[in-house]
Amino acid sequence: MLVALTDGERHGYAIMQGVEASSGGIVRMGPATLYGTLKRLVDQGLAEELARRPEDGDDKRRRYYRLTGLGERVCAAEADRLAGLVRITRSNLRPGLA
Amino acid sequence: MTGPHPLYRSLVRLYPSAFRREYGEDLVAHYADLVADRGAQAARTRTALDLAITIPRYHLEHVMTDQHSTIVLSLVIGLFAAGGLASLMTGEGPGGILFAVAIVLAVAQRSTLSRALRVPNSNLRRRRLQTAAVLGAIFATSYVVYVATIGDTWTNRETVLVTIGTLAMFGAVGFLIAGLLTRHSPDHRIASTAG
Repeated sequence: MLVALTDGERHGYAIMQGVEASSGGIVRMGPATLYGTLKRLVDQGLAEELARRPEDGDDKRRRYYRLTGLGERVCAAEADRLAGLVRITRSNLRPGLA
Repeated sequence: MTGPHPLYRSLVRLYPSAFRREYGEDLVAHYADLVADRGAQAARTRTALDLAITIPRYHLEHVMTDQHSTIVLSLVIGLFAAGGLASLMTGEGPGGILFAVAIVLAVAQRSTLSRALRVPNSNLRRRRLQTAAVLGAIFATSYVVYVATIGDTWTNRETVLVTIGTLAMFGAVGFLIAGLLTRHSPDHRIASTAG
């Protein structure tokens, strides 16, 4: 979900669609799973709800969320960690497999 | 909560009240989007699994919060202590063992209990004092009935009254102390000042 929010401000349904797209359709979240996870992200200070609705929003009733500064730093750190793992894996594998 | 998708709306009521208040309408709107986007059958399939997993999970998470687990712990300790006292008074049952269990629990979990008492929470304070008042009323009622109806022989009715009265008395004292020791939250003080 943090990855889905790196793209900018999104409402709940768009976050779900982003998670599905980024996981290749493997992760399919139900409504309560989505909002329960969003609540945890907000409680942990990784995401926040926008006080105002975006001007070009398709539905004024929707609540929009975005990453906080901490959330962005956590995403960047996780991306670095995964990139490091990829680098190590590629260098360890035989040429042609990596 | 009325409107479209009444079945899902009614199922949303099964979530803990805090979660429902915060996200209830979002859940229904999300379900409506799912139906419109993927079709009713796909929405039902996805949501059924979601409900089956998240309803018990969120209730469990709600119960396992510090405040709630402390209330449960306090009640268990109070029940063991009251049961022990009632047992000793009536000469029936393992009163000493029940008392010992209450003491062991209180000592073993003293850090949890003391941490909960330090949490500033006006709602918790009010709830504890209200609970103490209710338990106090139950104790007073059972005492009055006991005095008014006691006869020459000890019957099951007296045993029940003494047990209820003792449990209520210990509970009332426990909740009264806990309520008085629970601090007002800063938000509450600000609101009181503003009001």
